[in-house]
Amino acid sequence: MALSATVLAELRGIVGPSHVHDAAGDLVAYARDATPLFSHRPDAVVFPADTAEVAAVLALATRHRVPVVPRGAGSNLCAATVPLRGGIVLVLTRLNAILEVSADELLARTQPGVTSAALADAAAARGLLWAPDPGSRTVATVGGTIATCAGGLRGLKYGVTRNYVLGLEAVLPTGEVIRTGGRLWKDVAGYDLTRLLTGSEGTLAVITEATVALLPAPASANTGVAYFPTLADAGEAVARVIRAGVVPATLEFLDRACIGAVEDFAHLGLRADAGALLLFGDDGPPDLVAAHLDRIGTACVEAGAVEVTTAREVAQAEALLAARRCALPALSRRGGVTILEDATVPRPRIAEMVDRIDAVAARHDVAIATFGHAGDGNLHPTCVLDSAEDHEAVRRAEAAFADIFAAAIDLGGTITGEHGVGAAKLPFLAARLGEDQLALLRRIKSAFDPAGVLNPGKLGS
Amino acid sequence: MTGDVFDPEQLSRCISCGFCLPACPTYAMTGDEASSPRGRITLMRALQDGTLPPDDGTLAEQSSFCLGCRACEPVCPAGVEYGSLLEQWRVHQWRGWRRPLVARALMLLVEQRWLLRLSGLVRRAARGRAVTPQAGPTRAAAPAPAAAPGAAAAGGPGAQLMLGCVERGLFPAVSRGAHALAPELAVPTAQGCCGALHAHNGDLAGGERLAERLGADLPGTIVTTSGGCAAHLAAVLGRDRVRELSTWLADRPAGAELRVGGRRARVALQDSCHLRNGLGVFAEPRTLLRQVADYVELPSAAACCGAAGTYSLLRPKESRRILDAKLDEIEAAGVDLVVAVNPGCLRQLRTGLRRRRSPVRAVHLAELLTRVEPPPRPA
Ligand SMILES: Cc1cc2nc3c(=O)[nH]c(=O)nc-3n(C[C@H](O)[C@H](O)[C@H](O)COP(=O)(O)OP(=O)(O)OC[C@H]3O[C@@H](n4cnc5c(N)ncnc54)[C@H](O)[C@@H]3O)c2cc1C
Ligand code: SF4
Ligand code: SF4
Repeated sequence: MALSATVLAELRGIVGPSHVHDAAGDLVAYARDATPLFSHRPDAVVFPADTAEVAAVLALATRHRVPVVPRGAGSNLCAATVPLRGGIVLVLTRLNAILEVSADELLARTQPGVTSAALADAAAARGLLWAPDPGSRTVATVGGTIATCAGGLRGLKYGVTRNYVLGLEAVLPTGEVIRTGGRLWKDVAGYDLTRLLTGSEGTLAVITEATVALLPAPASANTGVAYFPTLADAGEAVARVIRAGVVPATLEFLDRACIGAVEDFAHLGLRADAGALLLFGDDGPPDLVAAHLDRIGTACVEAGAVEVTTAREVAQAEALLAARRCALPALSRRGGVTILEDATVPRPRIAEMVDRIDAVAARHDVAIATFGHAGDGNLHPTCVLDSAEDHEAVRRAEAAFADIFAAAIDLGGTITGEHGVGAAKLPFLAARLGEDQLALLRRIKSAFDPAGVLNPGKLGS
Repeated sequence: MTGDVFDPEQLSRCISCGFCLPACPTYAMTGDEASSPRGRITLMRALQDGTLPPDDGTLAEQSSFCLGCRACEPVCPAGVEYGSLLEQWRVHQWRGWRRPLVARALMLLVEQRWLLRLSGLVRRAARGRAVTPQAGPTRAAAPAPAAAPGAAAAGGPGAQLMLGCVERGLFPAVSRGAHALAPELAVPTAQGCCGALHAHNGDLAGGERLAERLGADLPGTIVTTSGGCAAHLAAVLGRDRVRELSTWLADRPAGAELRVGGRRARVALQDSCHLRNGLGVFAEPRTLLRQVADYVELPSAAACCGAAGTYSLLRPKESRRILDAKLDEIEAAGVDLVVAVNPGCLRQLRTGLRRRRSPVRAVHLAELLTRVEPPPRPA
């Protein structure tokens, strides 16, 4: 569906001619995000400068029944920003000002196009912590982070993004601007629309400003690494750490394939011969951090760790975390296509889940490497294929992931712990929520978006 | 189906994670996916599989808007060799008459060996006398600068100084400085151009041919004072044949300190993109500078200055925008000198600083280490 000349002209009138792109090549660039195997060209890419322009574009879209896909950095892994039905990709990177950082109120007010890392830096400069820490933080925008309710490497102790959103300014598909929540920690007036919009994946409204909670920056932080003969041993170590009464900030694991891939990129001197690695870290007062790292190390040794070390300097700790953050792209050094998935199980069932993933991989004859946020049960089984052109292999991988999601639900878990549903996981959503809840989701969706123009083919469809 | 523009194996390495976006100066300028490394790779794929026609306007625009600075390479966890994809892209994009006229003219020019030699001689005759060692203590270990790097020096089996086609014309003092610092290097004057210019402007085959010819002219280790040439030569002749000057000098004893107005000089470095991102060399020039002066790290030392080979000629507007931010930063740093390790960057910085009438001077590492006075500024 190409956009009519009238719509294009109106769009140009709203944001200015140079901020509407509709040349074939420009559209190709926005046909995909970080998700493999999904691609569809939009009809126009629009770069608004402020809330008023966003509102005008959305009102226009509703009037003309044109699909609109909000987009931050396009780093999501569930095809959430692929414009499946064409229409407009609404890029929010020009709204990129941090409006306020308040140390007194422990909050920041920011536009959505700011990267998560930039917000964290601005907070750190005032002695504060922006807790959400997705692996993609240097790229991902705050808007995308909120819209996907991203988690990350600090998820165990700090939870996901939802815990840190105090208020939002958002534009409804019909063009009205609403302000949910605000600057207050205590505010229970009305339905909690702030939470509803957090994780709504651009299907209910476009976030144009966010007020987020910050924490006092912890006095210190440190990181350690433990190597195990097998992934199951690492799983056992996680159970022991939790049982020992320690809730560290970070508890991440990599299997053998991931260790090798990360080492190839980061050259940190990781032990490539180990079957699994556990990266652990904590923050807080120095003596408490040291005590915690000590106890975690002991738990690891008891679980069969062959080696446990802690980072000697901050730079080294940060390098370890950075290496973990890029495990996914690093894995792609192993083959042509890398499909990463995201499933969560209750913590005590991690080892079981890992076993099931192995069995599924064997059954479907695909190579699956696994890494993830062990501390919160969030696993990222990742399939590396030689080529996207091998349709038979792609089909086998897809079948394997269907089984993996089923296994996660079977173990009391869920089909996504942090990446979101997008287009990629929509087919599995009913299994997690049930038909009645899905129907309610659709009614909520139509209350926000009567014309169904906002990110169609995703949540609420 | 176009099909054969890119090495498919390299093209398929990118998984579109977007980790390269924050490193890219053109993406920083526009916030537009199409001018990011990931977006450009998506465009390349569309060209390869025929979903975009070969004469598509965005393909043409983006292949030329890209600086070729390769800042996207070291940050890519998947190991995508963007620089070589860009070269392949430009072979296709800039074939025949489509190649920008300026690039074509320059490429013809640097291929003329007699011209290269002549330009070097003329500059030398004109400048030879004006070049004097700066007042103050000179580098103790270094001998007086050779009057004219002509005959091959004795010793140093097989290591030779490359004169560089641009450099010997524009900055003869750089080779002279390098020779003074490393007198063991032989300096044959019969040497051509390395072909980096060709490779970056859509003539990969020509670029390789020239590099191989230079390799034959200069058998053994080639020491160059240009980061861009070093990266290109290393790609064609192999890393073991090529050394950039700072790595060649790295373990020599320090010279005396450089003083300005009675105090230790404050100097900053502008990295050469290809040297840093292509060859991973950035520590050595800093180590050398720290020995003789107070070294100030510019926040964006690793980011392109906008010279980018022929970019400043082909896309003057964008080049100026990038340069202006860089110059603001240099002036704010309060340094006496900013040091380049590549003739293109040297030219870019010198022109920019001069235009601003800035008190800061741009010099090549070799000039600084030999205390050769840079050309006088206009009053
Ligand atoms: C290598 C890698 C590592 C990753 N690691 C993690 C991780 O550790 N944890 C994690 O949770 N995720 C991770 N991700 C996934 C992804 O990066 C995050 O979800 C990220 O927060 C998305 O931000 P973005 O700006 O790229 O959003 P986009 O991808 O642009 O958009 C994501 C969704 O948000 C919507 N959206 C974007 N902006 C707005 C807005 N202003 N208003 C309304 N809707 C909007 C879009 O429509 C879409 O549905 C990773 C991705 C990669 C490639
Ligand atoms: S070039 Fe590398 S960093 Fe950039 S998107 Fe592709 S894989 Fe990711
Ligand atoms: S070479 Fe430089 S300008 Fe070109 S895509 Fe890479 S980082 Fe961007």
